[in-house]
Amino acid sequence: MDEWIDLAALGRVLLASLVGGAGLVAVFSLGLVGLSEHEGRMRSGTHAGRGGSPLGLAVASGCFLCVAAGVAVGLWAMLKG
Amino acid sequence: MDGDTLLLVTVVATALAFDFTNGFHDTANAMATSISTGALRPKVAVAVSAVLNFVGAFLSLSVAATIASGIVDSGAITLTVVFAGLVGGILWNLLTWYLGIPSSSSHALIGGVVGAALIADGTGAVNGSGVVSKVILPALLAPVAAGLVAGLGTYLAYKITSNVSQNVRDKGFKAGQIGSASLVSLAHGTNDAQKTMGIIALALIAHGSLDEGADPPFWVIASCAVAISLGTYMGGWRVIRTLGKGLVEIQTPQGFASEGASASVILASSHFGYPLSTTHVVSGSILGSGIGRRLADVHWSVAGRMATAWLVTLPAAGLVGALAWKGADLIGGTAGVAAVFVLLVACASAFYLAARKAPVNSENVNDEWTGSVAPQRDGVPAGV
Repeated sequence: MDEWIDLAALGRVLLASLVGGAGLVAVFSLGLVGLSEHEGRMRSGTHAGRGGSPLGLAVASGCFLCVAAGVAVGLWAMLKG
Repeated sequence: MDGDTLLLVTVVATALAFDFTNGFHDTANAMATSISTGALRPKVAVAVSAVLNFVGAFLSLSVAATIASGIVDSGAITLTVVFAGLVGGILWNLLTWYLGIPSSSSHALIGGVVGAALIADGTGAVNGSGVVSKVILPALLAPVAAGLVAGLGTYLAYKITSNVSQNVRDKGFKAGQIGSASLVSLAHGTNDAQKTMGIIALALIAHGSLDEGADPPFWVIASCAVAISLGTYMGGWRVIRTLGKGLVEIQTPQGFASEGASASVILASSHFGYPLSTTHVVSGSILGSGIGRRLADVHWSVAGRMATAWLVTLPAAGLVGALAWKGADLIGGTAGVAAVFVLLVACASAFYLAARKAPVNSENVNDEWTGSVAPQRDGVPAGV
């Protein structure tokens, strides 16, 4: 089997891209939820229509920073080879 | 100019032409979804992608003067074989562009070289298990892996933002999509321009004007960067249309999830040394983003056409490569290579003229998908 397919490398690629791809997409989405909270634009729920939530802004900032860090790690990983 | 130098110049020109078609064919990989969701205007998208491909080409830290290593015996790689392989790669890229099918430029090049090596040196020159493990299996696995990541990402993106206002969601995902598409462009420049640099380095070594193991001169890096970014800027609109409109009707969260998945799979695969074709990854991601969103419309007939083209890429480019080698060999020497080069230019012009009859460009790239690459005009199917 090893002659045909490098399962270890493939497994690492899949794991890294699930965390880095789907994971960061989810974190970014959470950031949008925070941003929406902050702007008081949630469609429904306890916070609907109430603006200026500082918690929302904090969540959004944290999430977007996390995504930016993920991108930096990804670029570093590619260039390092 | 003596014969050897003429041969070198022809091979370098052909390599740069391949680099150009590579950029041209693959603009879609990074930008198709951003164009179809309206995150970027078509002209802006190709310009951004061109600049990032240019920058990416300069980021290549190590250029290896190898081609199809582990697939074709390095002793069989002569200048004429490399030239014939490039011809196979270019013509396959142009045909699939004309048909609007995203197919892998790297596979086209490898196919061309394998075909030329087979006819030049016989079956002993090609490593069968290398073809399976480095070309065929990755081609099957890449879209599945990318599709899985994109599908999960799309599902999560919709789930998490279901309660977010339309305005924030649209703007946010569009911004995110521009970022992730830029990342794909940069990675494309780094990985793909490097291949052409390696080919030119190989030609220079064979000519004796570059020492083996030495870094290629600056003009090689610069000319490859220019060729791939010019190709990208020309925009392979036909392929962009198929990927952006033909495969799946894409909304912004899907576009973001699929570009994010593509970027992560491409970066991870180059880090862990499991080379996957950008084209296969991106096509898989877009399909995955269609499956991840319930009720999204996936055009399976287009996906089937694409998969067929992937299967045919290796043998078809191989056949052209073999014919090109045979043609050059029959005429003999530098004159043979020059004759095949002239034929290549003629074929390329024919594809260009044929495509102009039913053009796809920045104006009509986002028109409603009606089952054909070129949008219908006034209800009349416009060919292809």
